[in-house]
Amino acid sequence: MNEQLSPLWTHLSSENRLTGTWRAALPNYQDQPSPCLGACPVNGRIATWIGQVKNGDIHGAFVTLADNNPFPAIAGRICHHPCETACNRVEHDETVGICSLERFVGDAALDQGWAFPAPEEERAQSVAIIGGGPAGLSAAYQLRRQGYAVTLFEASGQLGGLMRHGIPSYRLDRAVLDGEVNRIAAMGIDIRLNAEVMDEAALERLRAEHDAVFLATGASRPKRLPTLDYDQDWIVDSADFLAAPQDEQIARTGAHVVVIGGGSAAMDVARTCRRLGRAVTVLTLEPEGRLPAQKVELDEGAEEGIGFVSAAMLHSASFEGESVTAHCIRVEFQPGAQRGQFRADPVPGSEFTLNADTIIPAIGQDADLARWAELLDANGPVIATAPGWQTSAPGLFAGGDVASMERFVTEAVGMGKEAAHAIAGFLQTGIAAPVPEIAPQVGYDRINPAYQEDHARTHQPVADVVARLASFDEVQEPLTEAQARKEASRCFSCGTCIFCDNCYFYCPDMAITKLEDGGYSVKTDYCKGCGLCVAECPTGSIHMQEDEAR
Amino acid sequence: MEKIDYTDTGQFCSGHVACAGCAEALAMRVILNEVGTDAVGVVVPSCTAVILGGHPMSSAKIPFLHGTLESAAASAAGVKRALRAMGRDDTTVLCLAGDGGTYDIGLQSLSSAAERNEDILYVCFDNEGYMNTGGQKSSSTPKSATTGSTPLGKTTRKKNLIEILAAHRIPYIATVSPSHLNDMKAKVKKAKGMRGMKVIIVLIPCLPGWGVADNAAVKTARLAVESGVFPLIEVEDGLTYKVAQDEKKHPLDDYLAQQKRYRHLKDDDRAELQADVDASWSRLIGLAAM
Repeated sequence: MNEQLSPLWTHLSSENRLTGTWRAALPNYQDQPSPCLGACPVNGRIATWIGQVKNGDIHGAFVTLADNNPFPAIAGRICHHPCETACNRVEHDETVGICSLERFVGDAALDQGWAFPAPEEERAQSVAIIGGGPAGLSAAYQLRRQGYAVTLFEASGQLGGLMRHGIPSYRLDRAVLDGEVNRIAAMGIDIRLNAEVMDEAALERLRAEHDAVFLATGASRPKRLPTLDYDQDWIVDSADFLAAPQDEQIARTGAHVVVIGGGSAAMDVARTCRRLGRAVTVLTLEPEGRLPAQKVELDEGAEEGIGFVSAAMLHSASFEGESVTAHCIRVEFQPGAQRGQFRADPVPGSEFTLNADTIIPAIGQDADLARWAELLDANGPVIATAPGWQTSAPGLFAGGDVASMERFVTEAVGMGKEAAHAIAGFLQTGIAAPVPEIAPQVGYDRINPAYQEDHARTHQPVADVVARLASFDEVQEPLTEAQARKEASRCFSCGTCIFCDNCYFYCPDMAITKLEDGGYSVKTDYCKGCGLCVAECPTGSIHMQEDEAR
Repeated sequence: MEKIDYTDTGQFCSGHVACAGCAEALAMRVILNEVGTDAVGVVVPSCTAVILGGHPMSSAKIPFLHGTLESAAASAAGVKRALRAMGRDDTTVLCLAGDGGTYDIGLQSLSSAAERNEDILYVCFDNEGYMNTGGQKSSSTPKSATTGSTPLGKTTRKKNLIEILAAHRIPYIATVSPSHLNDMKAKVKKAKGMRGMKVIIVLIPCLPGWGVADNAAVKTARLAVESGVFPLIEVEDGLTYKVAQDEKKHPLDDYLAQQKRYRHLKDDDRAELQADVDASWSRLIGLAAM
């Protein structure tokens, strides 16, 4: 037909001209971790599950979440959320409310009764886990879902560890705790309650009976102030106090309580005391603004009427007449290189006193290492571990507070997950699998703000202060589904493709093909390598890569 | 986010010779796909003619008549009358020209066609200069921008083609930007459905001519819109003005910073340009409120 056309007519398509030869770089579609994933103690795929919430796939979001963390409803309530600090949206306006969204998904899973699936295959090998707190339960969950036989030994009569004995119900409803713990137990884990592993001989027996052992006994021994006489009935240990039933808490405290310490445990004690109708003063070494407790705890505690005396320390305390006099002195506080290390120099002449009926020191807890001293090397206050949470005893792994000073519930969950990964590698190959490296994360400079939702953050409602002080009901109230989906739409989805088709439509060379499965491919015959697709990608999921073929 | 929503039916083909990252090719893709198969094109010397052609190849699926630089609208009017004589009244005649062929060399034939209200869809790819011949200034080049022939910056204003056309009281005038593809598609569709003379002006940040990075044409165009330098407007019958945005979201500096042609400006110069944008914006809002 072409021969019939006059030579004046163009008769060929420009598609005969392969402009791909112009190119020096080629776009490469590659999902990359978001900063929240890098900051997350369990390295959860946050951008993915928030995208699922945005699209209304709440069950999908739960499955994604539970891949790394079997406690979304718990973590959504009490996690110290380093993800929100790392969130790229901070540079735009305010972080995405990741924790509130995690809670929304976790609550939905409990409401709907979603269970964890049975393992795809059963394996013959067995693992003993010592300690039924967040680290032990996390490891038990991860090993069980891979088909290993898991036996879990818990010293107390109930599972949950610090989540049960250390966190008051106004922060973590007990039905939520029970629901998430029972969901793990239902996977077919052999649970032994009131089964404390007392000594090295007992530990050695477990090592002989099982193919691997994970030690996650926590840190349950309260640190003590050397100047206080703990035999006095007006001094109460914070861990004992938080674990005690309410009638005992009432019996052990007078009208005015002085709490020593600025961390989460001190805030838990102080706010519990306020709910018992006590006047509360919190005495902290750290100056105002540098207290280690979470900001939300401090803010809510202040709303609930806690008085703070910061940058001061207790020198001594004595019972004089009707009440206790706490002798205090101001200090210059300097944090040390590692968490938990500090220097506090008393300021001469700054002595002052506080009156109290009860003093509750809450200055941290130590792990009991003496029991294993012959078998396990220590690293300062914790069990020494090599990468993969291996102890000095082959086949014995340790994680959580007993092996780390990162004393947060979700850090323990992350350690349990990493240890389970290492243990599975050890059981399959004899070598503990290393903790996977997290690739470099997508920065704010890779996000195109022109395509982002501009509405402000939707915060969780908070109960009225008067109502809060009258009960131990939860302070933070949940988002509705509509609110959750609206908040989820604020997520930049950093490094995770949302299949918006911008790359396809903004290509001036029609060199992007939409694939059947929703992905994209680049026609190398035509792509000139301009990078418009990368620049107009809202999520930073494409990057230019030098074209080595040329 | 608002998803881009048009169907690419392959009316504009890969293998064209637009510079890598050229926003004009991006706009041609939207326009040619929206105009569809029942159309005849006219193009005059410009980047567009180069992108479309390169004998014996064409990057468009519809036929194009390559006319002379001064005769874009006249040629298109002639093609339309020929089609009408053939009984093809509904075939769209799409006329593509640059700012040189529109603001300068083709202005007489454009004005005549507008005066006669010829039934053509005229698209001006406005890259604010003779960018295809090495980057000389046109009457569309904005004040202070450097070009090959205004190395110290142009001393006079950009010609206001919209008001010239509005004075002809043609049915439809619109501005569109490669940063707002849904808006572009909607306006092309609307214009295609109207009888009489329709003119759409597309702002094209020229990568070499303006000194814009290869991947930044869309960003620059978006800033032009959002800073109020190039608002997205429609004018119906020369009288009714509609502006797509309520406010200017960026200072002019954000837009200028993307381009080397404004790099020589001092703070006072930039303030003067900002004042001019503000005045034009107020005037436009006033016209839209009438």
